[in-house]
Amino acid sequence: MSDKIYGLMAEFNTPGDVLRAAKKVRAAGYHRWDVFSPFPIHGIDKVMGLKNSMVGWVSLAMGGGAFVSGFVLLWFSNAFDYPLIVGGKPMFSVPMTFVPSYILMVMGGAIGALVGMLALNQFPRLHHPLLHKARFELVSRDKFVIVIGSTDPGFSLTETRQLLESAGGLNVDIVEDKD
Amino acid sequence: MTNDSNQPAPLNLSRWQAAPGLLMVVGTVLSAFGLFASPQEFGFSWLFAFIFYYTIALGALFMVLVHHLTDAGWSVGIRRFSEHLASLLGWPLVAMFLPVAALAPKIYSWMSVPAKEHLIAAKAPVFTTPGFYITSAVFLAILWFLTSRLAGLSLAQDKTGEAKFTHKMRFHAGWGIVAFALVLTFSGALWVKALQYQWYSAMYGVYFFGSSVWIGLATIYVLTVLLQRQGYLKGLVKENYYYYIGVLLMGFTVFQAYIEFAQYFVVWNANMPVETFWYLIRENGNWWTVSIILIFGHFLLPFFLLLPQKIKSNVRVVVPICLWMWVMHALDLAYNIFPALHPQGYPLKWIWLPLAALAFQGGFLGRIFVKKLHAHPPYPAKDPRLLEAMGVNPHLANELAGADVGGAR
Repeated sequence: MSDKIYGLMAEFNTPGDVLRAAKKVRAAGYHRWDVFSPFPIHGIDKVMGLKNSMVGWVSLAMGGGAFVSGFVLLWFSNAFDYPLIVGGKPMFSVPMTFVPSYILMVMGGAIGALVGMLALNQFPRLHHPLLHKARFELVSRDKFVIVIGSTDPGFSLTETRQLLESAGGLNVDIVEDKD
Repeated sequence: MTNDSNQPAPLNLSRWQAAPGLLMVVGTVLSAFGLFASPQEFGFSWLFAFIFYYTIALGALFMVLVHHLTDAGWSVGIRRFSEHLASLLGWPLVAMFLPVAALAPKIYSWMSVPAKEHLIAAKAPVFTTPGFYITSAVFLAILWFLTSRLAGLSLAQDKTGEAKFTHKMRFHAGWGIVAFALVLTFSGALWVKALQYQWYSAMYGVYFFGSSVWIGLATIYVLTVLLQRQGYLKGLVKENYYYYIGVLLMGFTVFQAYIEFAQYFVVWNANMPVETFWYLIRENGNWWTVSIILIFGHFLLPFFLLLPQKIKSNVRVVVPICLWMWVMHALDLAYNIFPALHPQGYPLKWIWLPLAALAFQGGFLGRIFVKKLHAHPPYPAKDPRLLEAMGVNPHLANELAGADVGGAR
């Protein structure tokens, strides 16, 4: 076992238990922690105090950027760099430019949402310290797990363990940070 | 959200009771004056106001139909007053259509061109004077029957709570959505698009649909807020309602603009005189200003304001946007209707006449709506989906989060 510690994990048997424990963890002032569950628990984001994801902003920036670049590209290529009459239409006009730019915007927004989601999740990632824990596999079966990261300023092996145990956590265990 | 003690006192609107009557009086006086001054100007203004309220009622009817067709749960809370709005499509809007019917020969220029002109002959038998009246009567009769069935069955369920009424309403929504689509498309063509009968646009029905649902949703949003604040929907309508309606409103803002742009784009791209003339006269005089205001005010402003997720349930922002949408919708209808009469720009000296027609019809329909609202329970009291809509069996998560963040979301 290496010295480096990723965090502490605790198991819970029911969604109710994990929700009550999550409330206590949040009240204790932790920031770098997460709840794992076999299925979505409605309203857990509110209990954990999670903020809205930033993905929307990435999507907006990428979509807006794609729209503007579409406009500029059509103006540059069709009206500025190599003026070409197509179908008797003006070299540059908004109705003509709008449709391709709009479609680029949809594509940019979609790619922004995907890339933003991957980046914020720190993907692609082939490995995670939690995957070393045999009992962690139970979160895809019938257990609920809270993990508190050691990078949290309030993290302490003794106090955090006490908190998790007092919140009803079973099998509280150290998660080692090894590759 | 869970804590009612810090809610503000119920909104009291009793001092507004006289407003509909006042609007009717002012509207009647000015409209009568307008009718004598210029029957044609009056006819166009009355048609404009009629279409304004007609589209709101159609939008509400769409929400009721979709509620039944999708077997929705959450929208039970807003269904009753949507039914009242939709059932304005019964005798009240028929009554409001009568002046249009009476003045039709002055409003619709195709009635006075020779019937053998190809553009008219090709559209016979609808584009004949009897054809116009018969078709209009059929449209209004279908809507009257459909809305009265939906509202009547819903009220019948209030007494017994039997599930068979839900099934019956679903049956009527089934044929109703088809009838709705056909009547909406053809009435938009017959009553509005035909003002310039020489024009072609396959997009017009979709445009009319998008506009109707858009303004219907804006109206429903405002009414939901008003009724909730007055305490009629207490315990039923929560923030998630505002969010859901707000999302739909945002969606239809985009959809309506997309369709209106697509119509313009197709005409612009094909560049055929039989189509472009419609847009060319809308670049004359102050119609140009109106078109620019519509691009920014009808689409871009509401779109960007409604874009952030949390805004949609912030009634302090969305209600003013909805009121703004009414102005924009009226302007959009004016842009569709009045250039047929004033192709060189709208003479502002007549502006009081459409406003008077809006005032009278608004007062008249508003009175009937409020009367219906007071006569019946404010929501379907025995709907099988009511508990689902109220969110009974609250999740433990909501309870914990509610206590945690002190009632605010």
